[in-house]
Amino acid sequence: MSTLISVLSTVLAAAGNSEVIWHPADYWDLSIPVYLFLAVVAGGAYLTGASACLIRSVRGKDACCLETEIARWGFLVAIAAAAGAGLAVLSHLAVIYRALLFPIYLTNFESWITIGTWILVLLSVFAVVCLVLQLFGENPATDEGASLFPRTIVAWVSPPLLETLDGLVDRVRPPMAVFAGLHLLGSFLALGTIYTGFELAIVDTVPLWNEPVIIPALFLTSGVAAGIGATLAMTMLFEREIGPVFAGYALTVSLLSAVSLALLYYGWTLLAVSDAPAAAASYAALTDGWYYIGVWLVVFSFVAPMILGLVIGLATFADRLSPTLERVGGPALIGSFGLLLVGGLVFRILLLLGAAQDPLVVIG
Amino acid sequence: MSVHDDHWMFYFDPNRCIGCHACSVSCKQRHNRDADADDWRTVSHVSSGEYPDFREIPISMSCMHCHDAPCEQVCPPDAIIKRDEDGIVTVDRDRCIGCHYCAWACPFGAPTYDEEGLMSKCNLCLGEGPGGGHGQPKRETPEDGGTVPACVDDCVGGAIKAGPKSEIMQEVSEEAAERFEQGAYEGRVIVEPLEEDGELADSIRGGDELSIVDMAR
Repeated sequence: MSTLISVLSTVLAAAGNSEVIWHPADYWDLSIPVYLFLAVVAGGAYLTGASACLIRSVRGKDACCLETEIARWGFLVAIAAAAGAGLAVLSHLAVIYRALLFPIYLTNFESWITIGTWILVLLSVFAVVCLVLQLFGENPATDEGASLFPRTIVAWVSPPLLETLDGLVDRVRPPMAVFAGLHLLGSFLALGTIYTGFELAIVDTVPLWNEPVIIPALFLTSGVAAGIGATLAMTMLFEREIGPVFAGYALTVSLLSAVSLALLYYGWTLLAVSDAPAAAASYAALTDGWYYIGVWLVVFSFVAPMILGLVIGLATFADRLSPTLERVGGPALIGSFGLLLVGGLVFRILLLLGAAQDPLVVIG
Repeated sequence: MSVHDDHWMFYFDPNRCIGCHACSVSCKQRHNRDADADDWRTVSHVSSGEYPDFREIPISMSCMHCHDAPCEQVCPPDAIIKRDEDGIVTVDRDRCIGCHYCAWACPFGAPTYDEEGLMSKCNLCLGEGPGGGHGQPKRETPEDGGTVPACVDDCVGGAIKAGPKSEIMQEVSEEAAERFEQGAYEGRVIVEPLEEDGELADSIRGGDELSIVDMAR
């Protein structure tokens, strides 16, 4: 915060007056951007898993094990990210048990924190159910793949438990229509993680956040892209072959990164020309020192997967993916997806550190 | 949305404030709070110009018990309540989760957080101590047997007043009343215009915040 304060002082000095009262604007620690990011990553990963299940159903006999692997990794990443988001936000709260008892305590449904809590918890439940259905039962028992490691753990802990779970899942496995409904509802919840953007966008006192369209849209596109990227990266670590399904997801990440970049640019231009003193303070903070390096890191984190996803995706669909490109492209894509994760987090950290509350203007 | 006639609000006259901090000290004493605890009422000294045209204005601020209470709107556990009976914004610390969302929403920087991490702020001396206002009966005016808020009681220059809007409006200058009705500070507090800087006042009344900066240049 000291950097921000010094930048604010610079702004004031440049303005040549100090007839305003600045508020501290340091109410949240870094656990909040982690929470805001991981919640949408969970949404993106869930969407990847659900869509992979859909693709597998549509392709029928033509489907390969890759769709199943992507589906399992998607639900696994969704659960891990949602858990991380939950832990991050809980670590910030003063009275954790009241948050854990959210059906009793969080009663203000006009608050995006309340809405978001329900979305994140329900999304987690859907992801767990989907993952269990993908991990256990007759078919997974004969499958192979790195994403089956939870089965291995259960088998190692208790073989009878694995048998019980397989039997149970086979008995309760829903028909395809119910499956589709489950994924549809889960996908709505996944898209609902856009709430993380609204949590900031409705704060009238912070011009940097108070963009009710750009911020939520940017949170969704960048977070979902990171969620898809994380799922693909996990899958690619064990399945290096780049096929049409993979290329489709890479193109989706490319498109989402491009949209994120466009939204970021538009938001940045709005901030740069804003007359509000707090917007000027945020702009000054974000164009100074480490924060400015962070801004460029965010830009690069969108550019790299956008270009790589486009090149590899189009080359695959055009059947022009050379062995060299396939050999180099896989690791490069994994790296770009990792960068997307880092950039998405840094973006939210910058939004917090660069936030300045409207000062109180002393009216004469 | 506007302030109900029987809802309490603050009035501040910067022309009468001498910046002595008696208001913030008396607030802490009334609510039995540690000297190093965050202030529910703050006194900021804002300055402009350079010698010999230097000027400093003391500004006393606290929770303004806003008619639209942005803090109440964002509070997930409904711990913050804008009371219908007297308009005072209270905090139920038995529901607060300490998420600090209210601090971002507040335009006056009023919420403070203690060692427990729970929010506390001015309750217009409806009760004593953090959360003391929650669940209290309707605030009465001193004429009807109610207490005078500590900051008002101990203000040396009579710069702070508090009471139902209908009563406060009878005590303010015509200019302050007019400006309040026109939406200055979004109708959340009544502030007397500074007497020595008419040009600045006019520019801000015109809604041009940047003009402060331009004029100072």
